[in-house]
Amino acid sequence: MRVRIEPGSGRRLRRTRRYLGRAGQLLFACGAVAFAVGPILWAILTSLKTPAEIAEYPPTLLPQTWTLENYVGAVFENAHFLGYLWNTTLVVVVVIVLSLVVSTHAAYAVARFTFRGRDTLMLTMFSTIMIPGVAIVVPLYMLSVKVGLYDTIWVLILVYGAWLTPTLVWLLRGHVAGIPIDLEEAARTDGCSRIGAFYRITFPLLRSGLLAGTVLVFANVWNEFLLGYSLVQSDEARIIQVGIYSNLTDVGVEWGRLTAGAVAAIVPILVAYAFLQKAFIQGLSAGAVKG
Amino acid sequence: MAGADIRELAELALLDRARWRHLGSLAFPYLMFAPAFVLIMGISVVPISYAILQSFFRSPTLSLGRFVGLQNYADYLFTSNGIGSITASLIFVAGTVLIAMPLGFALAVLLSKPIPFRGFLRSVLIMPWLVSNLVGGLLWGWIGNPQYGLIPWLLAQIGVVLPNTISNPVGAMGAVIVASAWAAFPLVMVFVLAAIQTVPPELKEAAQIDGASAWQHFCHVTFPLVRNTTMVALILTSLHAFKSIDIVLVMTGGGPNGATETMALRVFNEAFRLLNLGVGSTGAIIIFVINILFTLAFVRVLRTEHGV
Repeated sequence: MRVRIEPGSGRRLRRTRRYLGRAGQLLFACGAVAFAVGPILWAILTSLKTPAEIAEYPPTLLPQTWTLENYVGAVFENAHFLGYLWNTTLVVVVVIVLSLVVSTHAAYAVARFTFRGRDTLMLTMFSTIMIPGVAIVVPLYMLSVKVGLYDTIWVLILVYGAWLTPTLVWLLRGHVAGIPIDLEEAARTDGCSRIGAFYRITFPLLRSGLLAGTVLVFANVWNEFLLGYSLVQSDEARIIQVGIYSNLTDVGVEWGRLTAGAVAAIVPILVAYAFLQKAFIQGLSAGAVKG
Repeated sequence: MAGADIRELAELALLDRARWRHLGSLAFPYLMFAPAFVLIMGISVVPISYAILQSFFRSPTLSLGRFVGLQNYADYLFTSNGIGSITASLIFVAGTVLIAMPLGFALAVLLSKPIPFRGFLRSVLIMPWLVSNLVGGLLWGWIGNPQYGLIPWLLAQIGVVLPNTISNPVGAMGAVIVASAWAAFPLVMVFVLAAIQTVPPELKEAAQIDGASAWQHFCHVTFPLVRNTTMVALILTSLHAFKSIDIVLVMTGGGPNGATETMALRVFNEAFRLLNLGVGSTGAIIIFVINILFTLAFVRVLRTEHGV
């Protein structure tokens, strides 16, 4: 087919197409943003409405009367919610310390030394990354009952520590390898011991890796549900995600309180993310592989 | 004579010291590795090995009990919702991937261009990744609630009537898939975007000079360079959808009538709701084995990426 082309029309066509393309991109971006944050925004709006307004149909977009009563009910009047937050914080902090200490040492060993059996050890360790939580939850439940740690936060600390350590070694190994060995050798000629060189020279230089590792542990433990549900039964040792789920099953469909609890559980992560975007992306990407 | 003795002793001592030091430096990496090793053996390797062993035995208590061969596996497959849960898993994983992959990929391509508000868009679009799957399921369960939800109401305004997201099997499966894709697409986006950004800009200039259109450039230059990362994202997304239970548990609990009970959720339901530990842990082993297959695919892709 032959089309008669007027002078200048090619350029105009191209410009129109570019505008159309731009408009399409804009529309797509807006749609994606609505999809991504819509449910979160809707939950925030719901949590600020009165129970009567939540049950209205058709739904109101913005609250007619803004109220914090759902937060008071879900967070402060609920006898256990603050306890769940405290337990989760405690577990997160102890797991961060435990797993980072353990895994920096292991990462240093595999990154700096070639020793007999290293590859086998590494293979064993990294293959446990792929054990999904749901595959190991029944044996862990039995084991924790047998050793008497069932229904304590200690079982969660140990399990999360072991669960995240291989991923952390994986992450930190690269960071150790990126630190020039000359620095340690210089320290050793100055009379520093092998382990001293590690603590004084290498460890402080791992800062960005440790930060990403901290975020990895924080995001994964804060958001973990399955093991927390299966290894703990009582309110005293329960963690936040399980608390939200038990609200759903115990309180029933009281959406104001449910969304208020959910928002309260999201906020700490969003705040941390606002300050540490780069570490979050690095930590979450490394943690994406974990089972 | 005495002087020679002393010298000999001193030499011996020195030798010993050197030997000790040598032994010490031999042991050093092992000592550094030991705590991680103990933790992982005790809490991952031993329990999973015990679970594999246990899948061939049956007992009413927590002990090993009586050897039953493959009976547990047969029970897992052919009792209650065995076949149904396999189908549900397939649909759930396929649905998640079919939405999350194109969406995440397209957003990565968009964000790699110099568009306005790029930083803002990227920060906002990652948000679903920060929210736990459990809470994500809760949020979607609310916004898609057949009675009070925003989405069914909005769609009803433009004349689209959604099947009930709780009581209708198709509606329920659709709802959990959308929620799962919501949680999954940021990973695809971040991975692919990172890969696109490593494509050297000179390649684009070269292609432009050769007169390649944007589409040709994408197909012949950019895509081949991000193909492996896309594969990695695909495997991770399917793996995650396959093994996680939170979203389905919160939104439907596996219902209506087992229509959304995936294999992973069935393990949970059998073990912790019906207290059927034997069938539950056997299902867990099956999931573990499928996981290993996914992992082998993953390793293969990584290998080709590094050109080995």
